[in-house]
Amino acid sequence: MELAFQIAKCVAWAPGVETEQEWCLWQAEKHDFSSDISLPALKAIPAMQRRRLSPFAKVSLHCALEASDHRQGDLPCVFSSRHGDLNRTTKLIENVAAKEDLSPTQFGLSVHNAVSGLYSIYTKNQAPISAIASGKTSFMAGLVDSVVKLHVNQLDHILYVYTDLSVPDCYSGYLDTNESIGIGLLIQASAFQGEGFKLSSATTNHAVLMGIQSLDFLNFYYGDAISWNTPVNKQTWTLTKN
Amino acid sequence: MSDLILEIKNLIIDALDLEDVTPDDIEDEAPLFVDGLGLDSIDALELGVAIKKAYKVKIDGNTEESKKYFYSVKSLHDFVLKAQN
Repeated sequence: MELAFQIAKCVAWAPGVETEQEWCLWQAEKHDFSSDISLPALKAIPAMQRRRLSPFAKVSLHCALEASDHRQGDLPCVFSSRHGDLNRTTKLIENVAAKEDLSPTQFGLSVHNAVSGLYSIYTKNQAPISAIASGKTSFMAGLVDSVVKLHVNQLDHILYVYTDLSVPDCYSGYLDTNESIGIGLLIQASAFQGEGFKLSSATTNHAVLMGIQSLDFLNFYYGDAISWNTPVNKQTWTLTKN
Repeated sequence: MSDLILEIKNLIIDALDLEDVTPDDIEDEAPLFVDGLGLDSIDALELGVAIKKAYKVKIDGNTEESKKYFYSVKSLHDFVLKAQN
């Protein structure tokens, strides 16, 4: 079975690679990530709301708002992240270890669906929103969920937002990759005009993910290849350009 | 401005991440919540924790008394002074 969809808009953010032109140069291996992080300014969000945004929240909201052209009102969404706002969570765990009181703000905003909540409040969005985590395959699990929801619920549009920021030092030894990346995709039904894709899957016994799924997707999206295979557990998903 | 007033203003700015606010922007007797500085209910919780941490005094949850203490910088100042003595 194949599921057709279009990507009406793709917004990706990584340290030093933010514009479409920079991503194309990155894909052609003529431009690389920088070691300094300069966070999106998010001037559209009022200062009193913006002050509570962590770097993770800023990157997520930037990708969500830019991909949806700052649309207000109902737009179904899927948010996905492997680690979530781990920098925020780690500070809370350190407070617990030191037997200190927890910051109510930090606590309330550390849950996995906190950013989607902030987004829905800011855009007055009452459509269904889900928050996904699926280990190393979190990017593809979220994309599959978005495309399936588009079809099953016969939606015109769905917003998919994927974010991961490099984890605190105390965790980095447990990981083989430690990327900082945000991706916002405005996905739409194939009846519209836009860049068309097809999604299909096959069952395999040993599907091992090599590399970084989110960056592999961007490499495919901005490159000339017409298809890309990537595993999620015992399935291999294939994305094909029309 | 007394030292404790200034200290409480800085505590509010730090605890609530009021990036563009200076102590001079906060009036001693102006309301902290809704009108005036425009803080919300999450800020009230956060400020309660910060006050407890800094001055070892606990403000009980959502009571008429606690609303009075949280009204302005001046009322917080009076509360901290009284609780410390």
